[in-house]
Formats: sequence, C-alpha cells, structure tokens
Amino acid sequence: MKRALLALTAAALAVGSTLAAEPWHEGVISRHVDQDALSGTLDKAALKALRKRGEELFVGHFTPADGVGRPFATQAIVPTKRKRPPENAFFRSAGLDANACAGCHNLPATGGAGDFVTNVFVSEGFESADFDSLDPQFSNERGSNHLFGAGLIELLAREMTADLQRIRREALAEARRVGSAVTAKLESKGVDFGTITAEPDGMLDLSAVAGVDHDLVIRPFSQKGVMTSLRQFTVNALNHHHGMQATERFGLRWTGERDHDGDGVEDEMSEGDVSALVAWQAGLKPPVERTPEGAGWQAAARRGSAVFDTLGCNECHRRSLPLRSLSFADPGPLDMAGTLREGELAEPAFYDLALLDWSRNLPRNENGEVLVPLFGDLKRHTIADQEVAALGNELLAQRFVERNVFMTAELWGAGSTAPYGHRNDLPTLDEVMRAHGGEGRPSRDRYMEAAEDDRSALIAFLRTLVIEP
Amino acid sequence: MEMTAPVATTPLRVPAPPPQGGRKGLATVFANRRRCRRSAGANGQRSFPLEGEVPTGRGGWWWRVPTALFCLPLLIAPAAAGPLNGIPVMHEEARTAGIEHAYRGPWEYFVGGGAASFDCNGDRLPDLLIAGGKGPAKLYVNKSTAGGALRFEQRDTGLKQRTLEKVLGAYPLDIDNDGYLDLALLRLGENVLLKGGPECAFEEANELFAFDGGNAWTTAFSASWEEGSAFPTLAFGNYVDRSAPGSPWGTCHDNALYRPELGEGTPLYAERRPLNPGYCALSMLFTDWNRSGTPDLRITNDRHYYRGGEEQLWHIEVGRAPRLFSRSEGWRHLTIWGMGIAEGDLNSDGYPEYALTSMGDTKLQMLDEEAEEDRPIYTDIAYERGATAHRPYVGKDLKPSTGWHAEFADFNNDGLLDLFIAKGNVEQMPDFAAFDPDNLLLGQWDGGFAEAGSEAGVALPTKGRGAIVDDFNMDGMLDLLVVNREENVSLFRNLGAKAEAGPIPMGNFVAVELAQKGPNANAVGALIAVKYGTRTANRSVQVGGGHASGHAGFVHAGVGTAERAEIRVKWPDGEWSPPYRVFANNFVRIERGAPEARYWYPPQ
Repeated sequence: MKRALLALTAAALAVGSTLAAEPWHEGVISRHVDQDALSGTLDKAALKALRKRGEELFVGHFTPADGVGRPFATQAIVPTKRKRPPENAFFRSAGLDANACAGCHNLPATGGAGDFVTNVFVSEGFESADFDSLDPQFSNERGSNHLFGAGLIELLAREMTADLQRIRREALAEARRVGSAVTAKLESKGVDFGTITAEPDGMLDLSAVAGVDHDLVIRPFSQKGVMTSLRQFTVNALNHHHGMQATERFGLRWTGERDHDGDGVEDEMSEGDVSALVAWQAGLKPPVERTPEGAGWQAAARRGSAVFDTLGCNECHRRSLPLRSLSFADPGPLDMAGTLREGELAEPAFYDLALLDWSRNLPRNENGEVLVPLFGDLKRHTIADQEVAALGNELLAQRFVERNVFMTAELWGAGSTAPYGHRNDLPTLDEVMRAHGGEGRPSRDRYMEAAEDDRSALIAFLRTLVIEP
Repeated sequence: MEMTAPVATTPLRVPAPPPQGGRKGLATVFANRRRCRRSAGANGQRSFPLEGEVPTGRGGWWWRVPTALFCLPLLIAPAAAGPLNGIPVMHEEARTAGIEHAYRGPWEYFVGGGAASFDCNGDRLPDLLIAGGKGPAKLYVNKSTAGGALRFEQRDTGLKQRTLEKVLGAYPLDIDNDGYLDLALLRLGENVLLKGGPECAFEEANELFAFDGGNAWTTAFSASWEEGSAFPTLAFGNYVDRSAPGSPWGTCHDNALYRPELGEGTPLYAERRPLNPGYCALSMLFTDWNRSGTPDLRITNDRHYYRGGEEQLWHIEVGRAPRLFSRSEGWRHLTIWGMGIAEGDLNSDGYPEYALTSMGDTKLQMLDEEAEEDRPIYTDIAYERGATAHRPYVGKDLKPSTGWHAEFADFNNDGLLDLFIAKGNVEQMPDFAAFDPDNLLLGQWDGGFAEAGSEAGVALPTKGRGAIVDDFNMDGMLDLLVVNREENVSLFRNLGAKAEAGPIPMGNFVAVELAQKGPNANAVGALIAVKYGTRTANRSVQVGGGHASGHAGFVHAGVGTAERAEIRVKWPDGEWSPPYRVFANNFVRIERGAPEARYWYPPQ
C-alpha cells in the first residue's frame, strides 16, 4: 500500500478548523475528516480512530450548525431542487425523519435495527416529494435493517459481482472468438443467478438472468437489494433522513453549488466524513449464533437447525457464503458517479477487517476463506403470490425492482431484531415464516405442515442468531 | 446592413448576469472598443484584398470582411472561464492511433473538410471516412478496445481514386435499407452515393440509384425519411456556382432535393428538384423544430457570397413542393457567415435550440416567446448564455474567430450539453484570428456555457473544419476528431475529468442504438428521451448538420449521478415507445416493439 497511516489520530482527521469546536457546541461536525489522509491500508490505530469518528457521526444529532435540513432539495438520490421549503423541516413521512442515524438503527445496540416506530417511507423524491400520507401509493414503508456484519456483506457482494461480470466478459469474448452464441451460467459462491447468452456481435441476452440487476451488480443493501455499497447508502440516507448533503454527490461538481439544499451551510459532509461513517459501519462485528441458556433450548435449537435445512429454508437463507478477502476498499469498485469512486482518488483507503478483534472468531473453510454466516444468498426473490400476499404489500416498484421482489433477508441477528417483514409489521418469527409466498412458498408450506415441535424448534434455533453488542 | 442590427442590439439589450466564470473587467472592454475603432477606420468599415486567397485567374479578391461588424461583439467578450468542474482531458493521439491524414487543396477546399463516423464492419465501433480535399478521402477502421488507446487501421475501399478525390465531406446513412450504412460523398464536382456492404465494402451507386451527382461545389447534406417513404429524401447544399458570370460574387448555386421513387428494391433519385434560391449553403439539417413530426430543412448560408440572401428554413411536406418559410410565418431575416449547424435541446423542453457558427459571433437560437407551432420565430441567446465564442479565448489575437463545425454533446457526462466548435482561419485572412483554437464550451448549471478548450487540450494551432464527436473507444466518454486544413487531423481521446493527480472518472452515461424493422432501420428522425430523476436528456437521430460531417451509431447522453434511466423513443412515425429501464454506464440497443432494451458490450 502506498501510504499506510501510522498515526491517524483524531487530530489528524480534522480539517476545517474554522468550525466551532467548543465543548458545548450544538452540533456533530466540529471538524471534517480529511479524505486525503486516508489511503492505503489503515493500521489498527488509524482504523480505530477513523471508526471512532464514524461512530460519533452515526450517533450524533445533527443540527442546523451542521447543515441539517434541506429546504431547497428533496430526498431524491439524484440531486433535485425544490422550489420552496416544506412547511415543516421535520416530517415523519417525507422527511426529515431522524436526527441521527442511531435514531433508528439502535436495536439491540447502535448500528442495529429499529422498531416499527422507526419505519422509513421510501419514495423516489422526484414527484410528490412532500407526500403527507402513509398511503402506499406514495411510498413504500420499510423497517430499519441492522448493520452488523455489513462490511462482510458488502465484501461478499463485491466478490460475487466480480464473478458474474467475469463470466459475462468471458462469454462475450468466447462468442466473438467462435462466431456463434455462447450461453453461460451465472453462478457465484454456489448461488445461481440464471444464465446469459452472448452473441458474436457483443449483444447480450439477459432474459434468463434471475435475482440480480441486468448490469450484474449485486446490490446487497436495503430490503429490496438496491443499494450497492455502504458508501452509497450513507450518502443517500444522510440527505434523505437528515438533509445532510455529502459533497461527493451534492457538491460543486454535480450541482454547481456548495450549498445545494439552500440551508446556509456549505459542503456539509466531506468525503472523509462519509468514509468515517463507512468505516464504522463496515467494521461492525457480525451477529453470532449463540449457545442458549438451558439444555432445553439448546436441544430445541439443535433440532431447529436441522429443521431449517429440512424445510428448505437454506435454499435462500444460505447458512454461509465464502469470502476470499477481508480487505475493505473504500471507496469500493462498484460505485458510480455521485458516490466517491476509487478512480477519483490516487488510492482508496483499505479497512482491513482482519484487524478487528471479532474477525478471529470467523469460521474458515479448507481454502482459508472466511465463511460469512449471513443466512442469506444476496439474491432477490419473488416473495408473494396470489394466496400468500402479505409480503407483497407495496404498490411501488423501486429502482426497476418489482413490488413483490425483495432481497433475501439475512437471518443473522434475527433473534435480536424483531419485528419482521420489510414493513416491520410482523411481530414474530412464526408470522413472518407463514407470510412467505412466491419463491418462498414451498418452504413456507412445509413449515405450515410441520409438526408443532418442529416449528417450535425452528424458532428456538432462529432465536439463537443474535447480535451481541 | 443585415448583420448590424442583431449584432449591435443583442448585447446591449440584454443586461444579463454573467455566465458562471465571470467576464473580464471594464478596462479590457474599453480597450477592445478602442482597438476596434482604430481597426475599423473612418467609416467604420474596411476590407482587404487577400493575397494568397484569390482563385487564380478569377481576377478578383474575395472574403472581404467588414471589420466593424465584429467589433461590437468584441466589446462584450465573455472572458475565459473561472474554475470549472468536469473539464475533460482530451489527449491528442491521431498519429499514434494510426491516422495520418490532412484535408488539403486550393481555395475550393477552404471550405469543407468533413468526416463520417459509422460502423462499416459490424463490430459497432465507429469507423471513419475522412475527406481529403484535393487528395483522396481515406477509410479508417476502428481497432480500439474498451477504454484503451485509440487505434485505427487504414482500409482500402476498392473504390476508384478519382471517386475519393475532391471530397469535401461525407454523411453515413442506410439509403437502400439493406442493413449496411451507405455514404453520401460531397464533392467538388459530381456527388457520389456509395453503397455499403459487409466488411467495409463500398461500391459507387449513382447509376444503381439513378442519381445524377451533378457538377456543383457541394458543401452540405441532410437526409430524412418522409412520411410513407421507403427511402430517404436527400438534400444537397451547394456553394458558389463557379461557372456563373461574375463568380464568385452573388453566384450561389441552388441547392437540390432528391425525393426517392421506388425501384426494384432500391431507391431511384432520378428527379432533381432545385431548392431555389440557394445562398451558398455550408450546412443543412432536416429538423423537426416544432415537433410536428415532419422535419423541415434548415440551411445556414455564407453571406460572403450571396446577395440578398439569408438563413433559410424550407417547408418539406409530403407530396408538396418545398417552399421557404416566409416573414409572414415568423421567419426572421438573419444573415451570417453560416458555416455549421448544431441542434440540441438545452432546456429539455422538447424543442431544439440551434447553434450556428459564423465568422465572429456564434448564434445560439431558441424559440422566441412569440413563436407558435407554425411560426418559427427564434431569438438569439448566445450572449446571455456565454456562447458567442467570437474570438480566441487564449493568446493575444483578439481578432474575430472563424467557426465551422458545431456540435452539442455531453463531454463530461454531467447531464449538461456542451458545445464544441471547430475553429480556423479560412486560410490567411488578416482580419481574422490566425491562431483560432477550437472551442469546448462546457454547459453550466445556470444554463450558460464556460470555455474549457485550453484546459481540455483542444486549443491547438490548427485550422479546424469538420469534426466528429463520438465514443471511439467505447468507454462512455466522448472523444473527438477534428479535420484540419493542410495539417494532420486531431484525434482526441477523452481521458476523464481534469484533476491534479490525473484524470478522474466522469459522470454516468447511457448510449442508445435504435433499430426498427422495414425502411429507415436506424430510425433517423427519432427522438430519444432519456429520463433520470426530474431531468430529461433529449437527443435526435439525424443525418445532416455540423460542417460536412456526420455520425451514425450509438447516441450518447450523460446522466450525471443517476444510476438508472428510463428511455422512451419517439419513433420517426410519431409513435412513442414504452419506457425502457436501463442501468447507466451501458450501451443499449432498443428494437422497436421489444419489451426490453438489449445490452451491448464492446471488445475488451
């Protein structure tokens, strides 16, 4: 690495010294993190310092001094002006709807999930940006996901994307070479994403692709699986929920303005600030499968684990996926304009997750790969049908993904993150299992038909998948 | 007289705020005024016989220029831009890419100098046919790989040498609907239609298409599929009639319209319909200015040679004789040294704006508030948008510029249309800038333009003429070919946005190829609406405009920070497609009636 940071202290993180920094300062951003000081693999101390700043930003309540509010911009992910400020700066439906990231992500600990009361109302923010209704024709109501293990999830998605795009590249090259169509199976880490057919002229038939966007980018975040990276999600959420606009999307280059939201504060979130938030989230330790107290629960959990496989839950909720590297590049390789990209820096920063204490406990396979116990497949599935439609309760497609299609929920941490379902409106694991339709329907039916003891055991098992603060 | 009013009044009438980047201070403005007064002489007008620019044996001088006409715009010169974002780094690499070619020849080749960009071998990479003037045009096959250095190989066309000589420009289009792009060669003398075949094979098709190429000095071309027609209507714009008494003054050749008749699977262009009067056209464009579904023919004319002429807009209606839009229909009298036409929808209102290059200030026309569906009333917004580009923006030469090819495109993928203008002294005209760098006017968020040509690297001491803006290495960033007079072409590879440590990635983009069954397979005349967020980038599929240069193939649109876009196509017959959902940073092909866009990937 070009530049390891040996002494990245909190002081080294700070630029913008003109900002107020008194202890009683009512704000979170008394200093900005200098992105230029972040490149190469950060050593343990530097990573710790950066994550500490990230946590401060995650839990801090943003104030007008920081730039909270977006009176002349909407919540849209593409910078979008509004003609006049909304009547209320804070508004539960269209936002601003939170003072801090931790306002919603807090169960069972900071960075966790949220109760029903923390639901977010997802709309594109282009038209009807000021919707004041919970009617699903205006927005999709979603629960707040937990972020524990998010760094590992993103690393898995990056490796899977690389696999899929390599398959595409090879199929295209082969089709050009042989002069006839080549069909290739899209598979990564044992997850099947259908097939592609490459034509000799470089055209691609994507009609048989399944569970991933047509650009073959695994977008692992959000209930819908439409966010590429922690960085992208962070930039989106800062604007949506807090009106804190990151320069890498809302700054001079892409809007022509330093105060795009017109709240009087310029360059509200620096690239370095976002990096700190990313580093903190990426380094959150993954949930674990704990050994429950009492022999009875232990026995039930063992039986439930077997039932989990017997019912076919593991077809989508894969127990683990293998991960080759724990080096988390920030920015990552897949972000597009508007989220900082690696090509915009001399060298990205690398957060070596192996430096974090929790990484020692991760299981590995015979190849030395980390087995990330996510209980998911990072693939989208149809999750509702005519008869079982509870999870098909949205009206709006999101970013080209149809209303009944969602990313397989990772079950790690399920024991700590009730309620369930993408609307957070199913209080128990039993209810959310009964709600599986569509591609989850066969397993759901088997669950319904299973003996009471098996169903109970399954719940006993799932409740051992917890977040340990 | 004609020129004085618009030039003099426009800048004074519009107390507009400066475009981003600001303008020079008052001291410079008045210094310019003094310089102009000295230059203009007592009567405010001077002209010069120009040694070396006189056609031998013609016994006269030409290109006389009333200097004073240029002075007023100089007084309000938009200055070089301030700090800009997203300045593309344009790396000139013509020779290393394998292109050694210049546009040369005597005074007949002071104009022209175009190129055609199109795929002639089925790999979807844009190949090039570049006019050579007196020397032969050359075909270069694109061998670039995605994102790599540009690489071209000259390919023998198999055509007769004399066919490729005296070529001033070229436009690609599929005339006979056989799936291979053909070429219209604009020549000094007989124009030639080349029928394209597989693997860049061409054959002369004038006889096959019953096309009489005439013997004019052809400098402009456009084509359009009129409603119900299986084949395109061709328009050729001609310059001076060299054989007319008194030539070159007031002896502009008429232009010509060729409507197809149906042959045995091929068009027959036996009937030449003159577009009279001709006013020495240097660019023409079928354009659906009012989105009526019926393109009309806009022609920009060189006032230097015509007498009593002006800019023209012809009604081109099916089954009817062409007729000029009249003053009573709102068409305003405008006389410029019209050299090139660019069309772009700057404000995404569906109605195109037009840049018209000239000597001195470039015009930028927008429909006026008084315009109506059948009243093409345009107002000039070049000054208020900072797009006059009327003199060099670097160097000490403050004489007026000479603009040729113009093209709107989004070079930095920020979602804002930029404007490229090829510049270059006609030859040795002392009243005009000798060092006259090409313009790269970057669209700004306030609607204006700011000059970035020097920082981008396109400000070379060449005499630009025609140009091609295209993505030659299929990396989503638009590259640039400029055909230079008497010097090697300039081929710029777009490396990304300028930054201290080297180029950085641009914004996101989509590139769209259209296809429909039956005639006009490439959907010339279609409108592509790329919607992302609350913005829409409108692009028209056209054959014509620029300066003697045309492009066929993928249509590019920058989409800034958007990851996705919804693309709708208004097909040439007026039918709107359903929205096609497309991920940004991809090349897609939209086939009419298909449920989804298809993705295409360039060779790695």
